[in-house]
Amino acid sequence: MSKQPYSVLGLFDSPQQLLDAIPAVKTHARGRLEAYTPYPVHGMDEALGLRKSPVGGMVFVMGLIGALAALGFELWTAGIDYPTLTAGKPYFSWEAFIPILFESMVLFACFTSGLGMLLLLNRLPSFRDPMLRSKSMPRITRDKFALAVESQGRPLDVDALSALLRKAGAQEIEVVEQPEAPGPVSPHFLMRSALTIAVGCIAAGYLTYWGVKLFPVVAPISHMLDQPRLDPQRESNYFQDGFGMRLPVAGTVARGHMPFAVASQEEAARLANPLPRTEETLKRGKQAFSTYCSVCHGILGNGQTSLTAAYGAKPANLVSRQMQDYEDGKIYYVIAKGKNAMPPYAADLSEEERWSVVHYVRVLQRALNAKDTDISKETSK
Amino acid sequence: MKPEAMYSPEGMLPESLKAPPIIVGTVSPGALDDQVLSHIDRKPPLAWFVAFACAATVMLIGFALIGYTIATGIGAWGNNIPTAWGFDIINFVFWVGIGHAGTLISAILLLFRARWRNAISRFAEAMTIFAVMCAGIFPLIHIGRPWLGFWLLPYPNQRGIWPNFRSPLMWDVFAVSTYFGVSLLFWYLGLMPDFASLRDRTKSKFRKFFYALLSLGWLGRASHWRHYERAYLIIAGLATGLVLSVHSVVSFDFAVSLVPGWHMTIFPPYFVAGAIFAGFAMVVIVLVVVRATMKLENLITMYHLEVMNKIILTCSCLMGYSYLLEAFTAWYSMNDFIHHAFMQYVAGTYWWAGWTTITCNILIPQLLWLRWFRRSYAGMILVALSVTVGMWFERFVIIVSSLHQDYLPSSWHIYKPTMVDFGILFGSFGLFFTLVLLFARVLPVIATTEMKMVLPGSQPRHGGGAHE
Repeated sequence: MSKQPYSVLGLFDSPQQLLDAIPAVKTHARGRLEAYTPYPVHGMDEALGLRKSPVGGMVFVMGLIGALAALGFELWTAGIDYPTLTAGKPYFSWEAFIPILFESMVLFACFTSGLGMLLLLNRLPSFRDPMLRSKSMPRITRDKFALAVESQGRPLDVDALSALLRKAGAQEIEVVEQPEAPGPVSPHFLMRSALTIAVGCIAAGYLTYWGVKLFPVVAPISHMLDQPRLDPQRESNYFQDGFGMRLPVAGTVARGHMPFAVASQEEAARLANPLPRTEETLKRGKQAFSTYCSVCHGILGNGQTSLTAAYGAKPANLVSRQMQDYEDGKIYYVIAKGKNAMPPYAADLSEEERWSVVHYVRVLQRALNAKDTDISKETSK
Repeated sequence: MKPEAMYSPEGMLPESLKAPPIIVGTVSPGALDDQVLSHIDRKPPLAWFVAFACAATVMLIGFALIGYTIATGIGAWGNNIPTAWGFDIINFVFWVGIGHAGTLISAILLLFRARWRNAISRFAEAMTIFAVMCAGIFPLIHIGRPWLGFWLLPYPNQRGIWPNFRSPLMWDVFAVSTYFGVSLLFWYLGLMPDFASLRDRTKSKFRKFFYALLSLGWLGRASHWRHYERAYLIIAGLATGLVLSVHSVVSFDFAVSLVPGWHMTIFPPYFVAGAIFAGFAMVVIVLVVVRATMKLENLITMYHLEVMNKIILTCSCLMGYSYLLEAFTAWYSMNDFIHHAFMQYVAGTYWWAGWTTITCNILIPQLLWLRWFRRSYAGMILVALSVTVGMWFERFVIIVSSLHQDYLPSSWHIYKPTMVDFGILFGSFGLFFTLVLLFARVLPVIATTEMKMVLPGSQPRHGGGAHE
């Protein structure tokens, strides 16, 4: 079987000799010309007619992407997805995002340069290159300079090329053989590989499952849980009464439950509703009304509920003429202090909720005593 | 005078001012390989084993104490309010600073075409990697729960929250990790052709496989070199900006806060100068030992060491200027708090640390003005050690002295480091020297490929030598 040589190699002692030899070989040899040197020899690119490396352009584009990606990500997280105020700066405080923008740009650019050069442009790693088996390789990485004419699939005239290289000044000639093509993969090997991968996946999954499960409960990782603290409703020997939870100091006022110094309902008439009549207030009023008031006063506020029949109680009709004439303060007073059979709701409803309920009661009064003029002409037809 | 001679700076210089040769004697590329790479196939001398055993022991003690800290909690250290930053952050800044010399030598001096850098760049780059590794340990254990360290990374999580990108501590995470990644890449790219040389010269099957794998099948193709040189130069250019940014960002950890004594605009350049200062001192210490024990006197010449010492002297003067400017800022601000903080440096609880800093960083390096002094081993080792000590104390003064007396006199507190603090500090030195010794054992300590480029006659298109 006649094997095609991969390339014919001429070895030179100095970079000068190699550079001098290139023009003659270039004009006469058929095949691709390649040089092998222990270090980059300047002027080689021009001599071999190699184009300028595109690394610069790649780096520029990726560096720009790195910078914009970082800035965009920072603006999005700090301003949109998780807006946080820091030191009174605005959400889109781009000045503070410059350091990471810069680092990200350098990171993208450098790794594009390094890995792009290795993986994309130079097609490394390659451990099957025929040149790796060349006898001359150890001498090239040491101190020799080689000029090669590579076949690239076409037949090479070995004798003519050897003579040409020798004439150009090469001290030694080597013919590098094309390596044997690797045989087909055996089914046995495939089976074994598949089995190994499957077993590996199962083992990795099992380990990950238990790792993640046990990770938070192993010391010292669990130390955060072991703190001396008193949970709600727990007993404590520290206090005489044995209760872990303590009552607030006498006279403590809860937020939104400010006591009001009004002696009677008549006097409360002068209180003004502090809340504006907004959709939000009315919604809150409706919510509180439905929860606390509608059980007795009815969902419409007219005092008609099942309670009336069952217990014979007579809850007030909130939409009656009398109630319509009540001042806001009077209704507020009844909610807070109760009246007749009605208990006080000061503990259940905050000040704001009470006033919202007052607004809502007004809505019910208006809705159930609507005038013709309230309805638009279109609807009344 | 001919026009060519007029524009050639070398031609105009008198003989005494011309740079001396960067290699003593004549060295052929082959002989260079034999000298630099042959130790890989030899058994190291007894001294190496002794040094390795010492360094590794100290390193293991350090790791044991880190384990103890993690198991018991940060209470094992001397940190407490108001001195919440103690040895952990001092050591972090110290090691990151040392890591800056490598990139400066390999990247910035490459851009300036300083040919003498080729002999020492590999070592300096390796030291960068190891120093940043030492530095990286400290913030991780400083956070108290290192297993939650990944919370610093912006990854989508169930909690629906993101890190605060306006915080200098987040900038730090990005700057230091980018710096480590890029330094490692830069180091590896430089090593790759040397790995190919090692692959082709070693006799051992195992080492051949190991180096072949690391060389990724590098062949020295002209079409590969063309991309390689371009990529290497671009990374050098980017790393130059990076190296300046990293220690600036580290200084922002201080300068962006409102602590008196930290909140100063001089901090970024002051920190960068200090980083180069400390880094060069460490490079000198290690180079002197390596040069003598590995018999590399003809490649790392006295000229190299002298240039290094001149840079150390320059940085020393820059540091002196920065210290003066700190005093000026304190006086000119007319702010009682800054004034108080500055007086603490020179006449406060830690006055001895302040004066150790000034003596070691400013006064002792001035001896380098003497030519005989900066060309003697004893002299340069003395200065380098004093700078290393001085720069550590500088960070001690900045951090501890500024923090231990805050705005509330009722919370003033004297910071006392514990034995665990000291143990972890020495452990980090153990780690550093363990890695340095391993590096000197299995990798080429001088970038042979880059050295071959500056041998006489290596670049015929540049009139004989390289870059002339």
